[in-house]
Amino acid sequence: MFADEDLDSVSVESVWRKSQQGAQESRACQTPAVTTEHAGVQTGSKTSRFTQTEPQEQMDPKRVFSGSGSDPPGLVDFLRRVEELLIRELEKNSRSHAFDGFRANWEERSQQVSHLHRLEHPGAQEQGLHVTAVSWSCTGSVIACAYGRTDDGDWTNQKSCVCLWNLDRRGLRPKQPDLVLDVPAAVTAVCCHPERPALIAGGLYNGEVVVWDTSRTQDPVLAQTGMSADSHREPVYQVFWVPLEKKGEFGVLSSSSGGRVLLWTVDPDQGRMVLVAAYAFVQQQVPHSSRLKARGGSTVGVTATALSPWDPDTFLVGSEGGLLLRCSFSSQTPAAVTSEGRSVTPRAPAVFSFRPSGGPVHSIHCSPFHRNLFASAGTDGLVQVRSLLQADPLLSVRVSDSYVFQVQWSPSRPLVFAAATGRGEVQIFDLARKSLRPAGTIQDGAPGRTATCLAFNSQNHRLLAAGRSDGSVGIWRLSSELMEQRPSESLQLEQIANQVAE
Amino acid sequence: MADVEETLKRIEGHKGVIGTIIVNSEGLPIRTTLDNSTTSLYARLLRSFTTLARSAVRDVDPQNDLTFVRIRSKKQEILVAPENNYLLVVIQNPSE
Repeated sequence: MFADEDLDSVSVESVWRKSQQGAQESRACQTPAVTTEHAGVQTGSKTSRFTQTEPQEQMDPKRVFSGSGSDPPGLVDFLRRVEELLIRELEKNSRSHAFDGFRANWEERSQQVSHLHRLEHPGAQEQGLHVTAVSWSCTGSVIACAYGRTDDGDWTNQKSCVCLWNLDRRGLRPKQPDLVLDVPAAVTAVCCHPERPALIAGGLYNGEVVVWDTSRTQDPVLAQTGMSADSHREPVYQVFWVPLEKKGEFGVLSSSSGGRVLLWTVDPDQGRMVLVAAYAFVQQQVPHSSRLKARGGSTVGVTATALSPWDPDTFLVGSEGGLLLRCSFSSQTPAAVTSEGRSVTPRAPAVFSFRPSGGPVHSIHCSPFHRNLFASAGTDGLVQVRSLLQADPLLSVRVSDSYVFQVQWSPSRPLVFAAATGRGEVQIFDLARKSLRPAGTIQDGAPGRTATCLAFNSQNHRLLAAGRSDGSVGIWRLSSELMEQRPSESLQLEQIANQVAE
Repeated sequence: MADVEETLKRIEGHKGVIGTIIVNSEGLPIRTTLDNSTTSLYARLLRSFTTLARSAVRDVDPQNDLTFVRIRSKKQEILVAPENNYLLVVIQNPSE
């Protein structure tokens, strides 16, 4: 029943491979050649710097002064407990005399003024030069002394110098300055920069203003005004460094007896001083009060200037005719002078005129302890303590019979000032004392030589430098009494300032 | 709260008082009549000073304790009423 049979083979075509192959396509692409270049770099010099901030102790502002919030617990009870005790102690204090006149000795006290050094420059002394100005550097260790003549009325071609001594150096040689800057004319004013100890500004007899940089070894002259149409024509009697609007920059203010006060900035690259502002004083523009009579010619020769440390806009000016003026830097009235080729038009800054003194004003200084007080000194032998608010002086102190060349308030005691007189003495007055005699007199060497200038050291309050006409500068250490502030001095100063002159 | 203000006013109105500060146990000022920088300076310094004074008194005699601290300087006098939790600092100018 079952039989073998052969059947044909059946084949099934593969559809899969064809569809795969059908989907294949080949493509080729190529990018254009990439250009490469090699360059090598190497650092020439390297510096490493690190900074790190320290965690600041911040008071959480919400925890402090939580006046309106809830009081910490127990505060009321604490106050109740403590109040009675405290009020009792306060009462006792206000009535107690236990500590009257008691002072603790933290430092060794010296009773007298002692002479430390006598600095001389033999070269200048041979030429018979006087010391015309002294200035301490901002660090308080270097003193700069300017040489010239104070008694000449004429043009001279005499060369002079500015000498520097560093008093903190061990090998201090009083007869040999540490640095001598040669100057082609007599120097009439010198002032050290308040922040950079290497810069010194000086005013010369021929009207130039020069800035020296003592850190430069080759040519210490950093900038000078030269004899341009802008500069002074008469001796420059005072120079000051004033802060400019841009913080950290200082300009030089120079005043001369030609009646002009100029403000310069230093351009160190070109070695020039660029005039920024000019102020000119003309007799007609000086504010007068009815009973003052002005003396002198049409220009007001400026012999003394002072800056106020409290108000950057005010400056005081004293003239050859005895006028004392309060001026403002920001005044806009143009001055009544012909501006012959000057780059900046001069302005008239005088705002208020004080009662004139009896002779040329040689020196003015604003008190560092009271906004309104300043002292002025002139050839009448008086030092007048005046207030910026009144025309008449508050106090006149007779310092000597001869001229007074410079007056300066002490930087540590509000009631003390020192005056350099024509008899060669430096008199130190203490307004706290009732008597009119000086608290201290500094006499150095032969009498009869005028003391022409003085300067207190603002860093080290014990030192005072005084220059004389015999070409020597004396460095003195003051006694503790003249240096330390007493408890009620500020009050007394306030009382003096509030006096109304009759 | 009103009590606190009243009490402080009574103290501040006293003759010669320049300023008052209340400091908590951590040395942070809670109330003050002076400016911020002076206040934080006084608070920090006086807290550690008072702790030192207290340990000095107790080391000498353990039964004793600090009740009041007065620091007299040339220009003014500082009075501190101490406690564990708070400090009351009053600065007075006694010569007025």
